[in-house]
Amino acid sequence: MSATTSATSIRASVRSSAGARTRRGLLYLTLVLLLLAFLAPLVWALSGSFKPRGDIFAYPPKLVPDPFTLHNYRALIEDQPFARWFVMSTVVAVVATVVSVFVCALAGYGFAKFRFAGKRLLFGVMFSSLSIPFAVILVPLFVILVKTGLGSPWFALIVPWVAPAFGIFMMQQYIVQSVPDSVLEAARIDGASEFGIFRRIVLPLLRPSLGALAVWTFLQSYNSFLWPLVLVSDSSQYTLPLGLQTLFVSEQRQYDLVMAGAVLAVLPAVALFVLLRKQLLEGLSTGAVKG
Amino acid sequence: MTTAIAGPAGTTRERAHANRTAPRLKQSRAPYLFIAPFYVLYVLFMLVPVLVSLWLSLTEWVGLGTPHWVGLRNYRLLATDVSFHRALGNTGVFVMIAVFVVVPLALLIAQALNTRGLRVRDLWRTAYFVPIVVSPIIVALIFGLIFDRQFGLLNSVLRALFGTGGVDWLGDPGLAKVSIGLVMLWRWTGYLTVFFLAGLQAVPKELYEAAALDGAGRIRTFTTVTLPALKPVTAFVVVTSFIGAAQIFEEPYLLTGGGPSESTLSVTMFIYRAAFQRQQFGYAAAAAVVLFVLVFGLSQLFNRLLGIGRATS
Repeated sequence: MSATTSATSIRASVRSSAGARTRRGLLYLTLVLLLLAFLAPLVWALSGSFKPRGDIFAYPPKLVPDPFTLHNYRALIEDQPFARWFVMSTVVAVVATVVSVFVCALAGYGFAKFRFAGKRLLFGVMFSSLSIPFAVILVPLFVILVKTGLGSPWFALIVPWVAPAFGIFMMQQYIVQSVPDSVLEAARIDGASEFGIFRRIVLPLLRPSLGALAVWTFLQSYNSFLWPLVLVSDSSQYTLPLGLQTLFVSEQRQYDLVMAGAVLAVLPAVALFVLLRKQLLEGLSTGAVKG
Repeated sequence: MTTAIAGPAGTTRERAHANRTAPRLKQSRAPYLFIAPFYVLYVLFMLVPVLVSLWLSLTEWVGLGTPHWVGLRNYRLLATDVSFHRALGNTGVFVMIAVFVVVPLALLIAQALNTRGLRVRDLWRTAYFVPIVVSPIIVALIFGLIFDRQFGLLNSVLRALFGTGGVDWLGDPGLAKVSIGLVMLWRWTGYLTVFFLAGLQAVPKELYEAAALDGAGRIRTFTTVTLPALKPVTAFVVVTSFIGAAQIFEEPYLLTGGGPSESTLSVTMFIYRAAFQRQQFGYAAAAAVVLFVLVFGLSQLFNRLLGIGRATS
């Protein structure tokens, strides 16, 4: 039975080699169309950022700006506090990332390589915090930080990102797979302290996944909007998303500046992603595929 | 870096690891010190706020002075608040779009990207992922211009192709929901594709060969080999999408302001509006507690049903 069917399927596959070529062509066509759909809005913004205001909505839309102008960028940087927004966002994101990655690596190691009383419960508590929507803690977190005088943006903007359960889960999965017990055991026999083992042996082994987690946390903080919107009232402390929003909601929607601002704000994020994309894409799925 | 599929094998392996190192560390404080920083931060910035939210929800408070205890009144008001019902309904629609449109599309694309001998797979995967890297507020800004009734790119394209434009993408209650769904589709699909593709590439080749030998066709192979093997990934992706869509904010806030006539008002926007535009902190907290119960409860249920988070024991 299986012999005959496999013979049939071989014959069928030989016969359909022309069909296979067409199918392959269709596959690439679909992928290209999808690619265009995914990238078109960004390309359109990029192209619009080099057009004079009147041309952005010219009909039919032009892909290559003509005339080509840098005026939008100049106006954004000279007339708007764009540089300040950028520094605010970047500093906050870098600090949040460093703290968060360290906390996650520590806890991920604790969960991956030790057995201790209450581990199952503590892991469950950590894991279930993944399903607490940020909106639930939005109001109380705001109230707590403002009432305790810790509402200074430099501190408060960092807070939501410092202990992400997702990061711990990702680290734990990676450590289980890639840090051999024998190495830890050998170090212990040599009399290394537990923290010494973590710092000198485990951390260096984690480098690829630390990179992935760092990019992820940086993007989360750098791109966040709701929390800064609630927290920051002083326009001199606006982050990039807040600043860009003011251009959009101002009475005269400054489309030209919005487009230039969008491009400049996206650049660091996309550059970081392109540099570390392999680690990020694989690191993300390591935690998830396992489920 | 490889991927692993959850299952009894993984769990036993981990337990074996733990056993080997465990005896020496039985009385050690080390593991607690390693996880302590997380739990300190967790208690301060997660647990305490959730408890404060519960307490605030039983008060009436304008943000100044002392909160005034009102018991369950906020919840009774929510039960009859048409805006809140709309917010719940709209959020439900966004969740449905995420789970029943975005997730299947991501699976289809991943399946296409998993075709044997596909060239520059990494390029496709990277390009499709880019939207998630872009800040949601920038996404909303760009799509705000794309959906513009008079000048937007979308209407220009429609005019060029079919001679009719002027569709009021954000001004019509039904279309506004569709528009937000399109933005979600654009933003999330490539991201979820990454997980599905990783899952597909972890399926043992022998399973496909066996299916081919049995003469299983495309569809049968998909339903008998691919789908079962993808179960853990699918579970993760569905729960993540559910949680993500349940707290959608930026898109309606910036694209439609929740309108027209609250047709895109989301629960998170409702909470934001109550607390920070209307100074009803207690009422906002009550709405947040309802959101918490729904999202937390449902995702625990899904996790139980689909077996997520059992990897470590």
